Amino acid sequence: MPRVFITGLGFVTSIGNDASSVAASLREQRHGFELYPPFQKPDIACKVIGTIKGFSTDSVDPEDWTFPSRYAIKRETIRSMAPHGLFAHCAMIQAVADAKLAESDISNPDTGLFAASGGSPMLTYYHHERMLKLGPARCSPLGIVASIVGTLNFNLVAAFKIQGASCGFSSACASSAHALAYAHDEISLGRQKRMFIAAGEDGNRDAILPFAGMRTLSLQTDPNLASRPFDVARDGFVGTGGGTVLVLESEDEVARRGVTPYCELAGWGQASDGYNVAISHPDGTGSKTAMENALKATRISAAEVDYVNAHATSTLIGDISEARALKSVFGELGFRPAISSTKSLTGHGLSLAGAMETGFSALLMREGFMPGSAHISNLDPACEGLNILRATVNQSPKVVLKNSSGFGGANVALLLRRA
Amino acid sequence: MPDPVQSNPGANKTLTLATKPFAPDDDAALREALKRCSPSTFEAAVQFRKTGNADHMPAVVIGVIERFVEPDLRSKLKDADDDLRLIEDLGIDSLTMMEIVILVEDVLQLTINNDELRNLRTVGDVKTFIDCKIRGLPLPRPTKFLPIEHIGAVMPVQPPFLFLNEASVSSTGANGKYKITGQEFFLQGHFKDNPIMPASIMLEALGQLAVLYLLEGASTEPGKAIGSNTIFFTGCEGVRAHRMCKPGDILTLSIKPKRMKMPLATFEGAIRVGQEKAVIAEDITLTFAYVESAVAPAAVESAGQPAPEVQPSETPPLRVAINA
Repeated sequence: MPRVFITGLGFVTSIGNDASSVAASLREQRHGFELYPPFQKPDIACKVIGTIKGFSTDSVDPEDWTFPSRYAIKRETIRSMAPHGLFAHCAMIQAVADAKLAESDISNPDTGLFAASGGSPMLTYYHHERMLKLGPARCSPLGIVASIVGTLNFNLVAAFKIQGASCGFSSACASSAHALAYAHDEISLGRQKRMFIAAGEDGNRDAILPFAGMRTLSLQTDPNLASRPFDVARDGFVGTGGGTVLVLESEDEVARRGVTPYCELAGWGQASDGYNVAISHPDGTGSKTAMENALKATRISAAEVDYVNAHATSTLIGDISEARALKSVFGELGFRPAISSTKSLTGHGLSLAGAMETGFSALLMREGFMPGSAHISNLDPACEGLNILRATVNQSPKVVLKNSSGFGGANVALLLRRA
Repeated sequence: MPDPVQSNPGANKTLTLATKPFAPDDDAALREALKRCSPSTFEAAVQFRKTGNADHMPAVVIGVIERFVEPDLRSKLKDADDDLRLIEDLGIDSLTMMEIVILVEDVLQLTINNDELRNLRTVGDVKTFIDCKIRGLPLPRPTKFLPIEHIGAVMPVQPPFLFLNEASVSSTGANGKYKITGQEFFLQGHFKDNPIMPASIMLEALGQLAVLYLLEGASTEPGKAIGSNTIFFTGCEGVRAHRMCKPGDILTLSIKPKRMKMPLATFEGAIRVGQEKAVIAEDITLTFAYVESAVAPAAVESAGQPAPEVQPSETPPLRVAINA
């Protein structure tokens, strides 16, 4: 089967709005957390999120939004976007430039786009309320395509004139890992030569605060302590939004265009917990099987994995589930890959997380380091025996495993290999 | 049964509509709704909402359209005649049309149904449409775009003496284009080694456009049609030629009916080349007669009965729409 490579990256994240500033933040363990103004109210216990700097998307009217001037976006393009559509659009522009793609490389039947986002709760609410108050005749004709799950693929496919495969993925926090995984297959099965994977989340009040209902948000009020996966005092995840785009290309396209890929996306595996709608299996059974399936599919042995970018979101149960799964895949066989959760710096990007963190992984393979998991004061004893990095190690991993898990007990494991 | 009357929009009598009192809250809402429109659009909307004077309506509609047109195309709207096409010339798609409609509905406080939108192709269509809505009148017939094949099929004049390449006809007037090819037979002698389109031929071209209007755009009584062999030139006044027109020039012609009463129809006409004025005719008058229509010969008048009295000349242009 043809091999698949990552050749372009674009980021709009809480820790940077381009690859180089993201790499610097990861290496130097600079987090992207701030006290979020809409949360500074007595009845909202959660105070901190991973904020997107340089963009303002608070308004329900896209024409009110502000964003870095290097992105020129026409009204007819921005009018149907959710905030995360803007983030991902900007990330797409970066990824296209990074991969050195010509216009003809983007818009052709051999190039597709898969996307993942949770839709835009802010815009859904706004348009729905308007419909109920003023009647359907006064609703924006673009309200639906701007707000429902799928808004990201609708908008990007139209804006960039994508002619190949296009689809959206919805498996909550595993969504964009699934998008990447199936995009890999689209190329390895010979259906497409190139795939864009776009992921985004609004990361605003309406996207994050509903998680307070399940008591899963961190109530930490100090941005410097907020997200602390694997720490014994962790108290929930810190929400974030943003956008990430990755470019995947076949071996032949990489050779034809003469570009240097970040790394190979070697393959992937998945499995489900079959346990609970929202709680991960305490033993991480689905995650364990997903990792084993990924190793099997790629014929990579557990011993070859140097670094694991964990799903670990900083929730009480989830981190331990994954730690147990990692122990059974690696620790019990005597392997000690370096492990960290970059969510300690960015916060949890929900549907965005898998693609954003795979993008980080590709970046750090090229840049030659493994980022430490920030904000660990006291490692949870349940994680003992795992090689959880606290500080950045300036060494380039040859093989990286990226875990993602979502509601319903969906688990995806992606394997990256140095090109 | 009265003849339909076409009147000059310039002679429009001010129409005032009963509106709800305009509260300070409304002012704020209106300002917010029109925040991306020009100040004059907002001003016109305020005046319309305060006074109900429909004369402010076109400025509001054009201001709203302008706000939804990409900035690099807005200049087209500035000097636009009513024939400027929404899709082809301004890049407005059907979703943008909906956005325009919703904002206009909001600002002018009216409701527009989807099936009413289908025929709006030009800026003029939109203006007339909104005007009808505001005045509670039936909607006009949409602008018809006539290709050369259609023009050739209906016109009594034929090549080599037909001076229209394409035309559009609405109930309020007609527009056309003619490209001077240089192959016109009379250019061999007009003038020697210096081909210039004769002013008399340009006047003829305007007359032909007026004929096309009578055949395709003018309203007639039920069961009657204007006979294509009954239309002849009777006179013209106030004709001035401003610019020499030569091979390669594209003449943009427009005529508007000023008065129409059997057997006479009077038009004003103009020819431009690009933005330059070429010919102006204040009055072009044609005679015409009715023939029995092939379809639906409903209420037929007894022969010899004189044409009944027509409406007064200050009839607002919306009468045109009613009759259409």
